[in-house]
Amino acid sequence: MNYRIKHRITRRQSLKLIGATLAAVTLPTASLLADKGEMRQKAFAGTDKKLPVIGMGTWRTFNVGNDPQLLDARTEVVKAFFDHGGGLIDSSPMYGSAPDVMGYALQQLGTPESLFAAEKVWSPAGGSTREQVAELKERWKVEHFDLVQVHNLADWREHLAALQEMKAEGNIRHVGITTSHGRRHSEIEQIMTSEDIDFVQLTYNITHREAENRLLPLAEERGIGVIANRPYDGGSLIKNLKRRDAPLPEWANEECGCTTWADFLLKFIVSHPAITCAIPATTQVEHMRENMRAGHSPMPSPDARQRMTDYIGSL
Amino acid sequence: MNEWTSYQLQDFIPFTAEVYFRLLERMGETFWPLHLLTLALGAATLALALKHRTRLACLLPAPLWAFVAVAFFIQRYAALNWAGGYAGDTFIAQAVLLVVIALTGWGMDKTPSRTSPPVVMGIAIALFGLILMPLMAPLSGGSWYQTEVFGIHADPTAVTTLGLALIMLRGFALWIAAIIPALWLVVSGLTLQALDSTGSVVLFAVLAITLVGLVWKSIKPKR
Ligand SMILES: NC(=O)c1ccc[n+]([C@@H]2O[C@H](COP(=O)([O-])OP(=O)(O)OC[C@H]3O[C@@H](n4cnc5c(N)ncnc54)[C@H](OP(=O)(O)O)[C@@H]3O)[C@@H](O)[C@H]2O)c1
Repeated sequence: MNYRIKHRITRRQSLKLIGATLAAVTLPTASLLADKGEMRQKAFAGTDKKLPVIGMGTWRTFNVGNDPQLLDARTEVVKAFFDHGGGLIDSSPMYGSAPDVMGYALQQLGTPESLFAAEKVWSPAGGSTREQVAELKERWKVEHFDLVQVHNLADWREHLAALQEMKAEGNIRHVGITTSHGRRHSEIEQIMTSEDIDFVQLTYNITHREAENRLLPLAEERGIGVIANRPYDGGSLIKNLKRRDAPLPEWANEECGCTTWADFLLKFIVSHPAITCAIPATTQVEHMRENMRAGHSPMPSPDARQRMTDYIGSL
Repeated sequence: MNEWTSYQLQDFIPFTAEVYFRLLERMGETFWPLHLLTLALGAATLALALKHRTRLACLLPAPLWAFVAVAFFIQRYAALNWAGGYAGDTFIAQAVLLVVIALTGWGMDKTPSRTSPPVVMGIAIALFGLILMPLMAPLSGGSWYQTEVFGIHADPTAVTTLGLALIMLRGFALWIAAIIPALWLVVSGLTLQALDSTGSVVLFAVLAITLVGLVWKSIKPKR
């Protein structure tokens, strides 16, 4: 086919082709410049769908009960998230009122197109998977979940089987499993190998890199999306760096545009080729803005990533 | 990685300090001036206990335990922590236990001596729960609404009840009546510790003194 097209090419077309080639040569610079103010996106789960590389978590931070003052404050945080191009929001029935608070915020703000709603089911399963998902949908006030994960592998066989059925029926879009703190990696590995899952959520940050050994390469090989939880190690990582007023190395700005510790820590995570997105949690609009800016280009090269880990190790 | 060693206290506390202290403050905002009534009931209970009107002294705090169970745990705290409903149930169980003790007279120390060390400890703990605990928030720069009060908030209710139990009860009944308040103080102390609040030290100190009082009263032969 290509051969025949080649033969049909006219003079006008060949001029066009030269133009296109010139454009392609200059494109990387142009697209990088254009990219500067925009959130990076990554394809996930072997599809051509894309997710912004910075999502958000809700553990502790969004569990505010029915306090009107705090409900409005968290709505502002969600607004900042979407204003900066946010997509994936992760919650769980284990996070107290966080799903209700998300429902409140979405009702105030409207549900943006970019929302990628990620929930979880947890123990005890006992035939309750569908019920749990239905209840959470009501609490979020959404029509569907883009992703439902089995929280910390609780009753995972039963939950996963039910979630797969729900996915096949079109009730939910993707299924996944979660762990954190480096727990149960060998079981996670087995599930990633033997089950047909779209996402795995695990702890990956600059000081907790166990997942690099087996799970991240396996995710790439199997086309499984990876959500990095505890990107700030629960907050201690960034809060300690800020409190100590630790100097941000100049080369980090030159090599990958890091101007804040949020840039440094999050860019490290999302520049790993296997990571789809990181999900920092925050109660503060200013922190949300800082976190979202970390999803902008440029990203660190493999060499720069090595320098980043060495630098943190040396502090 | 050993799964259990990877857990920290923070992993079990699903809210931030801001949210927890706002919850305590909202209890104050919502129920003021009920505080005056609950404090008066507390003071009356202490007076009755010291005057050996033990049955009535056991009965009076029971509705307050039920109130904290419903208004604090079931209606509010449970929205933040799935375990809150169970905490509410145990507070209701304590209310029932106090009623049962009041009705049956089980384990009552009918003539507590005001000079016996465990009773002195009990009086001190009860006064601390009734008077000093409410003053802690305003004295440390907080608003009056952050004041934690016996019969409205869980901590002073548990502390004061432990003090009262040391005065009024003895033997097995004393230990049984102390279990739920003491367990709550452990949970609350650990919560405050995870939230980096110095309040935890106060609760653990009360617990330690109570334990000494319980053991003392149990081994000391009654005169
Ligand atoms: N097994 C599981 O499924 C599992 C386990 C763990 C976590 N997760 C998910 O992953 C999410 C993230 O993990 P995490 O919440 O444990 O920890 P994290 O995101 O590493 O840290 C959250 C803490 O970082 C602070 N923070 C955020 N942005 C900041 C900034 N720019 N500057 C300074 N401080 C900042 C926040 O405090 P401020 O409020 O002051 O900003 C918050 O206390 C969770 O919320 C949850 O959705 C899932």
